[in-house]
Amino acid sequence: MEEQPIPENLCDNCQSEVPLGNKFCSTCGRAQNYKDIVIQHKRWPNIQQVGLFFVVEICCCVASLLIKDHSLTTLFCLDVIMGCSALLFFFYNWPENKAILKWPGFSIAKLLGLIVLTILASVTVTFLVDHLNVLLFKKEVRHYTLFEFHRYGTYLMFLSIALYPAIFEELAYRGYLIQKLLSVVDEKEAVYISSVLFFIIHFSLISIFWLLPFALFLGWLRIKTKTLWYGVFVHFFFNATACFLDLYPLEELFKLF
Amino acid sequence: MESSNDSLCNSCYKPFTLTDTFCNNCGFPLQGTKEEKDSHIANRTIKEVDLIELQRSVDSACNSLYWIAGFIGLSTIFIFFTAAAEDQFALLIMNVILVGAFLGFGVLSRSKPTTAMISGLSLYVIIQILNLIADPATIFKGIIFKVGIIIYLIKGIKSVMEADKIKKELNIE
Repeated sequence: MEEQPIPENLCDNCQSEVPLGNKFCSTCGRAQNYKDIVIQHKRWPNIQQVGLFFVVEICCCVASLLIKDHSLTTLFCLDVIMGCSALLFFFYNWPENKAILKWPGFSIAKLLGLIVLTILASVTVTFLVDHLNVLLFKKEVRHYTLFEFHRYGTYLMFLSIALYPAIFEELAYRGYLIQKLLSVVDEKEAVYISSVLFFIIHFSLISIFWLLPFALFLGWLRIKTKTLWYGVFVHFFFNATACFLDLYPLEELFKLF
Repeated sequence: MESSNDSLCNSCYKPFTLTDTFCNNCGFPLQGTKEEKDSHIANRTIKEVDLIELQRSVDSACNSLYWIAGFIGLSTIFIFFTAAAEDQFALLIMNVILVGAFLGFGVLSRSKPTTAMISGLSLYVIIQILNLIADPATIFKGIIFKVGIIIYLIKGIKSVMEADKIKKELNIE
């Protein structure tokens, strides 16, 4: 037999009627925000788990800074470790995370629109960052340098810089982290904290001008659409455009026209 | 049934009706024994005192965000004049971003303390790690200040959670 849902104005402890606005049941004394109190007790352990996640991320990123001679092997080893960490945290909290792997209200028009906007944004950011690097640090940063000696360097670059972060960073930051933070703070704060942590973990203060807004947008998109997938596509096309411009700089493309 | 001035809760002084077993505003056992009533009032008082203490701890943690901003601001002046000429501009820009970020967290901490303190703590820890990698000797410079700031912020985050929990238990906003 199916259980009848308890109306809001019945005490969940003694089933007596509780007028709306009363904070306690006048029959059994049960606080009417009892469920909120139970949630409050879980906030600190949840924050501790977020702390553990962030420490693991920091350790991986620091390890990449400490390795002097970067090779493709070390790069992929670190990618695998961070990917495993993202999967571990995501699937450890599977009951609360599984819903965001669905794609409710899928719209091809929305997806294509986002992809076009993302490519335009990435072209603008790449152009500005290139000039900022020359202006501030007197150097040009190229992603392809690490991959150019390999036979399949181009593919590996797209795999490591575009595909890998699009899946695993989204799974970790917009997936696990935002979902966990939602049990501690409200939606806006969860998006904000996850974006700040995402920005910080990239160890590049100067990228605050584009990385933080980008992370805020991805977080907002995740909350608004209740799915991870739009973010995965946006992240992939953003990074893939940067990789493409690394191979074919804007100046060379302009010469073609 | 009407409530009169004679039927005020002994704990929160809100009116109640004679059929009520518990106060519907604070959960006070209106029909309970003297021990139950005393215990309720004592528990409520303890929680209210705890709340004041926790709020003080949160305020200190929020202030530490301004302290960090001030400390970075002062060190910027020193670094600016001692750094190599070609690095001065980049260092200045980065330190201005950091000072701005911590001041922003300080302001944000008045309305959203959890967010501000988690963000501030994370950024502060990362700065220390990057400094450590760049120059391992820096770990010992101002170590008491650094450890103090980290402890203050962690305690601050925990205090916000505790304070929110007590507010929910006391059913106050």
